[in-house]
Amino acid sequence: MAEQILLKHKVVSLDGYKASGGWTALEKATRMEPAAIIDEVKKSGLRGRGGAGFPAGLKWSFIPKDSAKERYVVCNADEGEPGTFKDRELIRMNPYLLIEGMAIAGRAIGAKTGYIYVRGEFAREAALLEKCIGEAKVAGFLGEKLFGSGFSFDLHVHKGAGAYICGEETALLESIEGRRGQPRLKPPFPAVEGLFACPTVINNVETLAAVPAIIEKGGAWYAGIGAGKSTGTKLFSISGPVKKPGVYEAELGIPFKTFLEEYAGGMADGKKLKAVIPGGSSTPVLTAEEAMNARLDYESLAAAGSMLGSGGIIVIAEDTCMVDALLVLARFYHHESCGQCTPCREGTGWTEKVLRRFEEGGAGPGDADLLLSISNNMVGRTICPLADALAMPVISFITKFREEFDAHAAGNTCRMGRK
Amino acid sequence: MKLKIDGKETQVQPGTSILGAAQAMGVLIPRYCYHPSLSVAGNCRICLVEIEGAPKLVTACSTPCAEGMSVLTTSEKVRAARRDVLEFLLINHPLDCPICDQAGECGLQDYYMEHGLHKSRFPQADKVRRHKRRDVGKYLVLDNERCILCTRCVRFCEEVTKTGELCVRERGDRSYIDLKPGSRLDNDYSLNIADICPVGAFTSADFRFKKRVWFLERTASVCAGCATGCPIEVHHRDNIVYRLMPRPEEGFPAWLCDEGRMTCKSLRAPGRPAAAFCEEGNLKPAAGLRFAASRLGKLKPEQVAIFGSPFMSLEDNLALAELAAAIGTKNFCLHFSTEPGIKDGILKNTDHSPNSRGLALIHAVYGGYTREQFSERLASGEVRFVLGRNEEVKAALAAAKTDIPSSVFSFSDEPAPGRACVLPAASHFESDCLFINYAGRLRRARAAVKAPEGVLPVWQAADRIASMLGAPIRLETRAAVLERLKAKIPELAAAPLSDDKAEFELK
Repeated sequence: MAEQILLKHKVVSLDGYKASGGWTALEKATRMEPAAIIDEVKKSGLRGRGGAGFPAGLKWSFIPKDSAKERYVVCNADEGEPGTFKDRELIRMNPYLLIEGMAIAGRAIGAKTGYIYVRGEFAREAALLEKCIGEAKVAGFLGEKLFGSGFSFDLHVHKGAGAYICGEETALLESIEGRRGQPRLKPPFPAVEGLFACPTVINNVETLAAVPAIIEKGGAWYAGIGAGKSTGTKLFSISGPVKKPGVYEAELGIPFKTFLEEYAGGMADGKKLKAVIPGGSSTPVLTAEEAMNARLDYESLAAAGSMLGSGGIIVIAEDTCMVDALLVLARFYHHESCGQCTPCREGTGWTEKVLRRFEEGGAGPGDADLLLSISNNMVGRTICPLADALAMPVISFITKFREEFDAHAAGNTCRMGRK
Repeated sequence: MKLKIDGKETQVQPGTSILGAAQAMGVLIPRYCYHPSLSVAGNCRICLVEIEGAPKLVTACSTPCAEGMSVLTTSEKVRAARRDVLEFLLINHPLDCPICDQAGECGLQDYYMEHGLHKSRFPQADKVRRHKRRDVGKYLVLDNERCILCTRCVRFCEEVTKTGELCVRERGDRSYIDLKPGSRLDNDYSLNIADICPVGAFTSADFRFKKRVWFLERTASVCAGCATGCPIEVHHRDNIVYRLMPRPEEGFPAWLCDEGRMTCKSLRAPGRPAAAFCEEGNLKPAAGLRFAASRLGKLKPEQVAIFGSPFMSLEDNLALAELAAAIGTKNFCLHFSTEPGIKDGILKNTDHSPNSRGLALIHAVYGGYTREQFSERLASGEVRFVLGRNEEVKAALAAAKTDIPSSVFSFSDEPAPGRACVLPAASHFESDCLFINYAGRLRRARAAVKAPEGVLPVWQAADRIASMLGAPIRLETRAAVLERLKAKIPELAAAPLSDDKAEFELK
């Protein structure tokens, strides 16, 4: 196994965190110029781990230097994408890493306050974070004038109420502000007008948790790990019929084949791999062949026609019906569309209805093309990418596994033995 | 900054949206959620346009123009996007146009004909069903099935009336507009929601099922519901006024209050007199005037009192002032004290009368008693007959604690018991007339419908009475009245009173 940065220590107490070398990065950061911290993160090449892969240091540098307004650091812990469960694991393993990373981010952008927006279902993780924040405040790692510097930082935990869309950063901000969780029009971007209309940085749990190591060991050290522009390590959550499903930290650029075999133990029960959704349920599906030839990093997966996304790898074996699998995804995105934009509100529901015809009988010969047409009419025409998040799987599933859809439409029994 | 829209160069102020820039050039980009008086929501997606070189289409409502930008509003990509958005909007729409009051002025119908024309790919049985015919307020009915969730209504209640009665509930295609718990849409401006709703989701409970909109004739006029004098459009057909709508005019918001919209109800109110109700029985309107004149003719000038009103037009008050002068009575009042102003930050005025500024102009020239002095005159016992507007004569007599025979002009169904004669009068919906609003702006009401047979405006009735008394005031025609106004009232000397289009404001 390669370098472990995020899951290196299982930390259950403040003392344990200190013993593992915790808080030294924050102490260092309080003595650094904010611009130097941002430079170090830029140098590390750290990219957003929530799915979009936007360079974190660059995002921080968008905070206006001359704004007299309050600034905020917000952590997106609303992990809700099917197939993705790495942030929860990270919080369970080492909540202090996130807390320290947020404080450093606060120092870098001049924020005194941070919010961790935790998915509503993660009740235990929210309680754990609250407990750890409380301890850190008592011990002086959060609060006023940290490490004798002029820097003060406080953290709040905000629990979501069960909407996937609140993982979209501007919907998340709306939700913290007490409004209906739906994405905002951009511009203005959160760096200029974010939480409470103030400059705000929003990062994923994993992104922020990587920051302490970068500050401690330097951006150049971090940039030396990984492959090309995909620097550092990444948490991958792998699910499906593999021998050891779970969350693993691996160097970016690792071949999928290696990851599947060495980390996840290979396919379970001697099953044959059929397809892989590499980066959470919204990323285009890869055929077994495409997946086995791909490396797990931003560029390689983009070249393969998909995305690294959140690193939520869904493994699909040959005995899984692709129509059924797509219906599961469609049902999810239909349920979770906020309903704001017409193409998404109407298109997600329509897609699910057509897919039900494939599953329950009644699909006609033109229905696979109808699905493609609905998806093409949704893509790129909405405020946030939720419409694309359904359209991309639909397009890739039908394009790559067309014969299964055609067989259903022709009224034949599903090859998987389903009705 | 300079940019190109559909190949044509244009220049706009920084911050102008693409939609705004296009509109200024006469290019109308379709829109549902966008409304010029509300915040930008960008949710309907019908206004998507192409920026040359940009990978994705952008919403014209929310995207500001940029220097050198080249925008395409009719490219194949844009037309496809509009068609697709319309298809999405229509899949769950009930398509109940034959029984929908919005038909004829519906954004879905209009844009389908212009941009859609696609065949349905969606089975009727798959449609999402929602609540219909919901009683959501005094004047509104909500049909959630027809709604396209543009949220104009929600934003109106949040941003304009700041009453926030509405919200979107649920998610995805289960979303629907709903009242917040414990609230009803009973704010003073609720009917604007029926106007701004681009489809038939919110309809007016009053107008519902009354008339197909394509049969309506439209007359530009002004509201006489208060001193604000909002621009309105009177929608009528076959001599019946069906509804009042706001009319765009510089300096006025795009709204109209519910109270103002309902002012047309008095026209056909069951109690509104179409004949003169006199002591001798019901007379034709002309005979009613003769009756009033005969009563006046038996009295000495000082025994007659004439009462002008801020609820009557410049023409009416001028004629009453001239009548008082012709009779030779000093017992007349052209006075009304008020402190006008917008009381709710939107439109409603503290002064409920449409013409107190106009009345003041006439008072300044013709003199007469103030209201307080007039009350004393009525109480003094000298006055034996009063001529004026029903509601005010009634109030003045009550205030003076006296009952004097009177002949009153009635515009409405306000009961007038015990009067010697009730004379029906043509309202501002039935005759061209002028008011001056609280800000000194000349307001032109235009006749949209005809008054009942023989019913005259007050100025004409006053002219007839004067002639019958042998003291003619020579105001036979409206042109003559306008000439007299210009000749007598110095502030109006230069006013373009007879030019129907010209605007005028008091200095």
